[in-house]
Amino acid sequence: MPLLQLFNLRKDFGGLRAVDDVSLEVATGAIVGLIGPNGSGKSTLLNLIAGSAERTAGRIIFDGDEISGLSADQVFQRGIARGYQDPSLYLKMTTLDNALLPVKSQRGEHPWYAPWRRFWQKQEAENARAAAGVLEQVQLLGHYDSLASDLSGGQMKLLEMGRSLMGSPKLLLLDEPTAGVAPNLAYEIFEEISRLRQQHGITFLIVEHRLEILFDFVDSVYVMHLGNLLAHGSADDIASNETVREVYFGD
Amino acid sequence: MINIDLGATAISVLTLFGIYALMSISLNLEYGVAGVPNFGQALFVSIGAYVAGVTYTRLLPLLAGMESVHPCGPTMGQALQLRSEIMATQPVAGFINLALTLVIAAILSGAVGFAVSYVTLRLKEEWFLALVLLVGGETVRIVVRGADDLICSHNGISSVAQPFYFLDDVQMSSILFMLLALALALIAYLYSQRLTHSPYGRMLKGLRENEEVTRGLGKGISLARAQIMLIGSAIAAIGGVLFALNTGFVNTNDYVVTLTLDVWVMVVLGGIGNNRGALLGAALIAIMDRVTQVAAIALNMSGSPIEFNYVRFIAFGIILLLMLRYRPAGLLPESRLTTIAHETAKRLTPGKTI
Repeated sequence: MPLLQLFNLRKDFGGLRAVDDVSLEVATGAIVGLIGPNGSGKSTLLNLIAGSAERTAGRIIFDGDEISGLSADQVFQRGIARGYQDPSLYLKMTTLDNALLPVKSQRGEHPWYAPWRRFWQKQEAENARAAAGVLEQVQLLGHYDSLASDLSGGQMKLLEMGRSLMGSPKLLLLDEPTAGVAPNLAYEIFEEISRLRQQHGITFLIVEHRLEILFDFVDSVYVMHLGNLLAHGSADDIASNETVREVYFGD
Repeated sequence: MINIDLGATAISVLTLFGIYALMSISLNLEYGVAGVPNFGQALFVSIGAYVAGVTYTRLLPLLAGMESVHPCGPTMGQALQLRSEIMATQPVAGFINLALTLVIAAILSGAVGFAVSYVTLRLKEEWFLALVLLVGGETVRIVVRGADDLICSHNGISSVAQPFYFLDDVQMSSILFMLLALALALIAYLYSQRLTHSPYGRMLKGLRENEEVTRGLGKGISLARAQIMLIGSAIAAIGGVLFALNTGFVNTNDYVVTLTLDVWVMVVLGGIGNNRGALLGAALIAIMDRVTQVAAIALNMSGSPIEFNYVRFIAFGIILLLMLRYRPAGLLPESRLTTIAHETAKRLTPGKTI
């Protein structure tokens, strides 16, 4: 059974239909690309899945449960994490604290327990070990004590991904993970994504403009245009699809 | 020239510092750590003071085993004499009354803070809460001022004595009250310090930095913010009780918007998000308060046409502007969050490569 299924998802902004009856599915363990020209509704679709925008109509099924209508924090608790197009790190917090914040069910997050360290210190140390593991994987362990604002653009993207992992998601939604990143580093980011899929079994739905990199890593690609799904297929199918070439590449 | 009793001045400045520290620690938790712009600090402080006004006139005689006299109207003088007598002769009743006052004030103020913020913070703009509290504080003040029976409208309640009033040695009595204020401030400081340096503090800072992202990382934000408003409002009300006892007076005129602004100056001056900064800001403002008071009296006696009390407001405005322009993080900028996590990560890091 697919991990994520969308049925006739629709989003209207006033008179504008940003997402128009989109139905798609993402198989468990897959890396799925979502492409389309600017303004085609990709980011809105991610927002709908993540619960940060309210759908007008349609259903979202995740891991066998309907999650349409849940708020963003509830969706995260169910196992969907998202990355943002603009760096969304807590710039005034350290790399380590950025990684620790999303950990679920932290006992010390409750104000009545927070002042008494013995209630949460053991769990915090365990979480820190897990965070150190994730930071090591994204090659940021040496920077655990740096403020996030002191990291480079590529490191920020990696930290953002590492941070999402700390919520142990089943599905990661990424919005242009390579935006503003040097070409060689962009390739590294996708290699990291591929490793994460293999090691943790995480499923990815990725909006990306750098198709030459994306197409090397995806299992399948959905193409959006003006709020509609235009095509679906393997990277090769999409690259040779005449209609897609027309709307996307303009030739 | 006027004579300044250095000992008495030190005691009164330190007492004021303790009281201000409670208010600034409260606002620092709310705004500095959690980013909730509380422009109604005067409201929560005043709740403490009004509760004191009610308990010292209604509850105290009961605790002393005497018949209570209506504090306002024709029996005003009689009631005043009664509570002065109780405070002078029955210290146990005084202490029990104070303890109950602190508890009631903290619960009531905390409940108001929780309710107001839980409703308004669900809206996207947290500054809406700022306006609600700004207006709410003034509205409550006017309502209390208009209520004839609560704290005797514009007359207020006088002779709200501090609990060590029964001692014959006046200086010893004020030293003990100073110690009480400092002890409560110390407890509030240690508590908020622990709260700040915990996973809860980390989540609050996350909310402050980026609400949408924090929500997207699985945190229910309305409740977290309402909770910090509950805690902050309770601490502010405790400060309000002490404030009333320190002046010996409960009057609605003391809880106008300028009190809110004073507390904001303390936090901005000391360091937004830093509990030590909140203490420093409270100390500096307590000292400045006393300096301007003394200067005002001295100038007045030397026949100066300047009313120095107003200079205080000008000075505060200038401090606020200069700080925001040149040192927006305050004198003591926010410290990096440190829980045990940092030590754990340090052990696991082979060699730092920065």
